[in-house]
This record gives sequence, C-alpha cells and structure tokens, in this order.
Amino acid sequence: MNNDRGNEQYSNSYRLNIVHLYPDLLNLYGDRGNIQCMRMRCKWRGIDAQVTECNLDDHLSLASADIVLLGGGSDREQQIVCTRLQKIRQDLRDYVEDGGSMLAVCGGYQLLGHYYDTPEGRMEGLSLVDLYTEQGSPRLISNIVLRNESLPDALPYEIVGFENHGGRTYIGSNTPFGRVLYGHGNNGKDACEGVLYRGVIGTYLHGPLLPKNPHVCDLLLQRALYRKYGVSLADFPAPDDSLEREANRAVVSRFHSPLAP
Amino acid sequence: MTCGTNGKTTTNNLLCSMLEAQGFRVVSNRLGANMVEGVAAALATAAKGPLGYLAVGYLAAAKGPLGYLAADFACLEVDEASAARVLQDLHPDFMILTGLFRDQLDRYGEIDLTMKALEKAILEAPDMTLVINGDDPLTAYLAKKSAHRIVSYGVNEKVTGDVDVIREGRFCENCGAPLQYDFYHFSQLGVYRCPSCGFGRPEIDYAAYGVRLSPQLSFDIQKINSAPVRISAPMTGFYNVYNILAVFSVLREMKLSTEMFSEVLSSFKPQFGRGEIFHVGEKRRQKVLLNLAKNPAGFNQNISAMLQDRSPKDLIIVINDNAQDGRDVSWLWDVDFDRLADETIRSITVSGLRALDMQLRLKYVDIKSERAPDVEKAIDERLADGCENLYVLVNYTALYEAHKYLEGLEK
Repeated sequence: MNNDRGNEQYSNSYRLNIVHLYPDLLNLYGDRGNIQCMRMRCKWRGIDAQVTECNLDDHLSLASADIVLLGGGSDREQQIVCTRLQKIRQDLRDYVEDGGSMLAVCGGYQLLGHYYDTPEGRMEGLSLVDLYTEQGSPRLISNIVLRNESLPDALPYEIVGFENHGGRTYIGSNTPFGRVLYGHGNNGKDACEGVLYRGVIGTYLHGPLLPKNPHVCDLLLQRALYRKYGVSLADFPAPDDSLEREANRAVVSRFHSPLAP
Repeated sequence: MTCGTNGKTTTNNLLCSMLEAQGFRVVSNRLGANMVEGVAAALATAAKGPLGYLAVGYLAAAKGPLGYLAADFACLEVDEASAARVLQDLHPDFMILTGLFRDQLDRYGEIDLTMKALEKAILEAPDMTLVINGDDPLTAYLAKKSAHRIVSYGVNEKVTGDVDVIREGRFCENCGAPLQYDFYHFSQLGVYRCPSCGFGRPEIDYAAYGVRLSPQLSFDIQKINSAPVRISAPMTGFYNVYNILAVFSVLREMKLSTEMFSEVLSSFKPQFGRGEIFHVGEKRRQKVLLNLAKNPAGFNQNISAMLQDRSPKDLIIVINDNAQDGRDVSWLWDVDFDRLADETIRSITVSGLRALDMQLRLKYVDIKSERAPDVEKAIDERLADGCENLYVLVNYTALYEAHKYLEGLEK
C-alpha cells in the first residue's frame, strides 16, 4: 500500500500507549475504528502504537498511558461502567490534569461530566470536566458537520460524523469541540458540539470519528507525542490523506446539495 | 410469524416452501417487505370478504366478520420495530425468534430499546408458542420473561473457529454479570450461563450435531428422545444451520410431516439476494453470488462463507445509507474486514452512496480497492475481465438494484 511509509529509524525510538477503556461494554458505534485509525496513522509514520484493552475486571494503570479512549455504550452498559469508574476517578483526574490525551465519545463524553439525569434516576459522572447532561426527547439523530474555531492550525477543515443521542449536554463556559454547521450538537439549542478541556476531546460524533477526520486523530497523536517526548508530529513523514479528505468532503457536500443529507 | 435481526427472509421462505410442498395454501411476504405496510399488503392479496381488498388483510387475518384469508397458513416475516404494532392485530400461533443482533442503530436508537419494544409486544400477546434460537442469550432471556410456551433450537458443538470480537449482550440481561461461555459460534451466540443468577442457555429441544459446512451444509437434528434426522442442503454459511433448524422445529411443533424436508431443501433456491446464485455470460460459465450483508454479524458470516470457497474470486461491496439501510454506517468498523486479505480474492470493488466509507475502512486494514460509480458498472467491469466467480455483497437498498440487474443478465 503506497501509504505504508513505515520508517525503521523511528520504530524503536517512539512508542505511544493507547488505552481503550472497557471495549467489552462501551463498543456501540464502531469505536474499534478510532483505535484502528490511531494505530495505522502511527504505523505510517514509523511510530510504535501499543493498544491495551482494559476490560471490566482488569486492573487499570494510567501511569504509562499516552492516549485514553472512552467509547459509547447503551444506557444499561453505561451504568455498569459508571459504577466501576468511580473507583478510578482520581487516577483519571490526575491523568487529565497532567495534560493526558483523551478521546471520549457519546456515552463516554457524558461520563466526563458531573452527572447524566434520566427519568430512571441520576448517573454519577466522573466530574473530569465541568459539564452535565439531561435526557431529552426525541433522540438527536443525524449526520453532522462542525467547524472548530479555537484550534485553527490543528483543525483547519470541517469535522464530520454521525450523532445519535438522547442526552442534552451543557458545557457552560468550556470551549466546544466545534460549532455546529449542520446537525444538532450538544443539546440542539446552542450550536455547540462536544468539549475541549486540556488534552481531552469529548464529543457525540461517531461514524467512527477519526477515520474521516484525520486532523482530529493527528491532534490526539500530536499532544501525546509532545507530552511524552517533546517532539512534534510534523517531524514525521506525513501520510497521504487524499482518500480521507475526499470522504470528509463527501459528507460536507451532502448538505450543500438539494438532496436530503 | 418470523422475527429477529438476521435470517428472517430465508427462514420464512423455507417454511412457506415446506408447507406448499404438503399442498397447503400459504400467504406470505416473501420479498422481505417486513414493516407494517409490507405485512398488510401481503395479507391483502389473499383477503376475501365483503370489503375485498379494502379489508386490507389485517381485518381478514384477524378473522373478523368482514373478511377471511383464502389460505391455510399465513407466514409473515416482521421486522423487530414493527412487531409491536403487528402483534396488536395479528395473533400468531407460532413466533420464530431468529436472534437479535446490532442492526440499524439510528432507526431504533439502541439495541436495548429494540429489546424493550419487542419484549413488551411479546409479553402482551395472547398465548402462542415461541420458537427461539436458544444459542442467543438476548432472545432466550426475552422468551423466558414471557409466559408463552417455549421451544428452542441450537447448535450443541463448536463448529467455526471465527474470531469475532463484537459481542453485544455478552452481559447477563437479568443481573448484569458477565456471561460465561463454553464456546461461541459467532457474535453473542454460543453455549452460555450466568455464574451469578443462574440464567443460562435453555435446554435445547432441537439440537444440531455433526455440522459440516462444505461442500454443502449437512448436520443431524436431534430432538430429545427421538432418532436423529440427517439434513443435507445445497447452501453454505453457518447461519443457514439456524434457518433450517427453525423451520424444522416449527413443522414438528405444528405436528406436520417432515418427511419431505430433505427433498424440499435440496430443490430450495435461495432467492432475493440471500445467497442467490446467477449464471451469466457465454455458456453461463460466469457465476455470480449475491448476498445481503447489512450488519456486523451478517457481514462476518458472509465473509466466512465466502472464504470457505477456496477458488479465485472477485468481490464487489455496495454500501448505501438510505433510511431502510440505517443512516449510520459506523457498523462497517465492527466487521472483520481484515480477513479479506486472502489469496483467493483477486480484487475488491466498492460502490454505493457510502463507497468512500467502505474504501476508507479497507484502507485502514491495508487492503486496496477500486471504486465504481454504480453496481451495474462494477459487475460489468468484473465480468468483462473474465471473472468466473464473482461475489456481490450489498446492504438493504442496494439489493434490489443488484438483483434486478443480475436477473436481467441471466436472461
């Protein structure tokens, strides 16, 4: 494959440890794709990516983690995870406050906040980020396009994905992941989607998120690499992103055509 | 009534063929139009009475004073989300549940919501016999909660060595503890029990043993306390073992003969793109197999069946995201496409509204693919190359177009 520019000179020097939290429970929306995307985009640059799957009964250590992925599950599965996560809340908080890189999608995004209120009761969150979620109706289901305005260099073009959530999330004065160009976003009201906090990206976007948004994937890799080695991703050979960009543009252009997205 | 995520159409059509072979008149929605409208339309074709077609089947099938069905049996496949509505009006004697897999998430919300809607409909339905895939903990739990009579079928031995990591429903529906498995067949299907609350795989009434998948399917069906029946069918794919088991179980439970079972199976032609084979080109030497693949469980099974064929082949994959397909295509990343890096696969062509997503999916397992503007073009190109063994895997709305085109080529 012409994209495979694995470069031996890096492979022994740079390694990123990716921790996938509870893939046995939080695996609803192709989250494997986010892992696979990070793995391959490291490989193409000659960076060694180690993926650790942390299941419900495994002991979790974030000491050597460089990127943490917290995915989405159904409400029932989220409740199981939620109880378990309270035990490692402090570890996760230390990791985030130290600038650790993290992607939290859908249910994982809701867990970042203080709580998620549903008619069945309150699900306590991790309080890693100052936000909260309330269940609403109907579910917000749509293709979605965002434009990030706070990191123009790292995220110079649209972010695309698919959203499917009953929760309405309110991020207060935090920075959103993006402004909603098309779709619903955090709550369908304030045109914000997701949240950015230190090294954390929280978002409802799946699809999965990263393959069609290589700039977002590279932002996670860049932060992890810089935190660990003090080097920039730009120092590594850049992969050919033409197919990724085409797939990204295809979603954006659906909203410009008279056909329904 | 047949309900479940995968296998509805093949199971229902096979059941119809079995009943017709015994001389019964059967009304059904064989084309797989399985939402409320499709069910009503199927019944309307056989509705008689003062209101005629206007009785729109529903009334007729409800055996009200306004109409009746000119048929001995109605065999209907009903999609999971429509089952709740249909069960309000129609009261089947038997309901087959083939299994519940992750499917079309954006239409139903999530699998838990589908389960809740289906569970409610089944709990509230008048007495019937539930014929269930006992290897599926989601289905078994749903059946167990109801007061209906339960008959179960399953495969009692490990058959495939597939690695398939998506296991929705791996946790006990009753208490939330992780289920323990002796072995998996695929997805969450297997021999399981909950170590915490005691919920587990029901005792299997109709069990398959000695399963062989190639060159065609063969296995024994063992009913408790009776002699095994050897089954042989011109089909491939492990999932068809379940479809056949379901039909056999229902016939036996209806106290109907299964004498003609093997004969009907041997002449049963998979239709409507469920493993349907077309012979096209000069001297009909070029074989094209069309199969519906609309969710991870189905797609992984399709890949397994295709790789059992060790002759060289070309592959076309068409992915759409129309309303009936599910607008969300993230499930593509839960399919084990890395298995397509196989020396028997000469080329892969992708098409459909989400061709770019599919191509990108393959790129991230280091597999190259071509893109074609539509399925007709893709098929034409491969056949022009002289391909004699072509697999076309499509999701729901791409099926009709592909089917129509291949039918035309065969004529």
